[in-house]
Amino acid sequence: MSGLAGIQAINVFGGMACLDVRELCVHRGLDTSRFENLLMQEKSVALPYEDPVTFAVNAAKPIVDQLGEQERSRIEMVITCTESGLDFGKSLSTHVHKLLGLQPNCRLFEIKQACYSGAAGLQMAVNFILSQTSPGALTLVITTDISRFALADANAVQEWAYSEPSSGAGAVAMLVSDMPEILQLDAGAYGNYAFEVMDTCRPGPDTEAGDADLSLMAYLDCCAGAFKDYSDRVQGADFKSTFSQLCFHTPFGGMVKGAHRQLMRKFHKAKPEEIQEDFEQRLSPSLTFGQRVGNTAGGSVFVALAGTLDAGEINEPIRIGLFSYGSGCCSEFFSGVATSKSQSLLKEMGIAEKLDKRYRLSIEEYETLLSGKSVVRFGTKDAELDHQIIPSAWPVSGNGDLLVLDNLVNYQRNYKWI
Amino acid sequence: MGSPLDNTEIINILIEEIRETVPELEGQPISASDSMVDLGVNSIERSEVILAAMERLDLKIPMVQMHGPKNIQELADLLLVKSAG
Repeated sequence: MSGLAGIQAINVFGGMACLDVRELCVHRGLDTSRFENLLMQEKSVALPYEDPVTFAVNAAKPIVDQLGEQERSRIEMVITCTESGLDFGKSLSTHVHKLLGLQPNCRLFEIKQACYSGAAGLQMAVNFILSQTSPGALTLVITTDISRFALADANAVQEWAYSEPSSGAGAVAMLVSDMPEILQLDAGAYGNYAFEVMDTCRPGPDTEAGDADLSLMAYLDCCAGAFKDYSDRVQGADFKSTFSQLCFHTPFGGMVKGAHRQLMRKFHKAKPEEIQEDFEQRLSPSLTFGQRVGNTAGGSVFVALAGTLDAGEINEPIRIGLFSYGSGCCSEFFSGVATSKSQSLLKEMGIAEKLDKRYRLSIEEYETLLSGKSVVRFGTKDAELDHQIIPSAWPVSGNGDLLVLDNLVNYQRNYKWI
Repeated sequence: MGSPLDNTEIINILIEEIRETVPELEGQPISASDSMVDLGVNSIERSEVILAAMERLDLKIPMVQMHGPKNIQELADLLLVKSAG
C-alpha cells in the first residue's frame, strides 16, 4: 500500500472551433473600453456534431492510448462530471466506456454539481484509490461541458447575454491512480464551503438563468470559506506562502483576479501592488488555456491546472492550491504537489498545438450555429448530422483519431472517427 | 467603529470607494440615486466596492447577504441595517 493518490495523466480537449471574444463583444455592442481587465481572448464553440460525449472521448483517448493492454484493463471506474448531460437516466460514462474500448468490470456513473462536478469526481476517485479496496486500480475522471443555450426563444437569448462571452466548451480527462505523476494530492488537506443559493442554474435543456452579481458574491464567500476550512484542517496553512501556484475555477480571468484580491486583502491586508505582483506570479500561468477555451464549467479548475503545468517553470516539486466552485452552491479548496516531470508529461499532450488547430469562426458562422437549426436538442429521437454546416470547419483529411457525432437512431447516438 | 454611522456617511463611503475602484469616473457626478451598473461599474468592481465598504464598517457577514439593492441609496440602507446587527 503506497498511500499515494492523485492525477497520473491529464489532457484538455478544446473542441474543433473557436471564436474571438473581443469580436463577439464588439458585435453585441458591449462596452470594450476595459475589455483587457476581463482577461478573455477566445472561447471554444461546440459544432453541432460535437457533443459532451465527443468532447469527453477526444480528451481521454490520448491518455488511454498511452496505456498498455494490462494497464488499460485496470481502469475500474469511469466518472463523467458534467452539467451538460444528454439523458436523465443514462450517464455519459456509458458512451465513453464503449468508445474507449474499456473492460466490462467497471463502475460507470455521472456527477452533477455545476462547475464543482470535476473536483467532486476527482475526490471520489482519489478516495477510491486511497482506500485500497482494489489495489493498483485506475480511475478515469472526465469533465465535459458545452454551452449551447440560446436556442429556446428570444427570452432565453436575453437571459444568457451576461455569460455569453465567457461561456466556452471543453473536456478534461484525468487518470487517477496511486502513481500521481501529474499531481499528488495532499491526502486529507481540503476545505469545503457550501450553502443553497440560486445564483446560476440550468432550469431547462436549452436555457441558463443567472444573476452575475449574486454568483460572484457566492464565489467570493466560498473562496474565503473553503480556504478557512482548509486552514482549520491543515496546520500552518498560509494562503500567501504555502502554495507556489494557484488554480481557481475560472469563469473568466477577471473573476479569478477579483477573488485573489479579496483573499490577499482578507488574510494578509496586502496592498494593490503586492496583490498584482502575486497574481502575476501565482495565478497568471493558470489562465493559459482558460482564456482560449472560455468557461469549461466542471473542468475549469483542471484547465487551470494544465495551464499552470504548461506555462510555469517547474524545477523542483511545488505545492499547488486549487479552488473549485459550482453554482448552487458547493466549493472546495485542496492542494497537491507537482514536479518537473509533471510538466514534461503535460507538454507531451500538445494541448496548445491542438487549440491552435481549431477553426476560427466568423461572427456570421457563429450566429448560424447559435440559431440552433442544426443542433440536436435534448430528447431527440432520430437525426442525421450535417457535417458541412460550416464547410471550412470540417477537417479536409483526418487521422481517424477525432470523434464526431454522426446520427441518432431511436435515441441511440452513433459516432464516427474522422 | 466608534459612534454609529448614519445613512449619509455610508453613502459617502460608497461613493469614495466607487471612485477609488473605478478611477475612470473622475469628474463624473455620482449621487445616491445612481446605480453602479448605470455608472458603468462592472460586476467585479461592484463586489470590490461592497467589500471595501464592509471592511470600513467592520461588517463581517457573507457577501450574498448584500445582494439585491438597486442603487447606492438602497445599498447604504442595507449596510446600515446589517451594521446595526
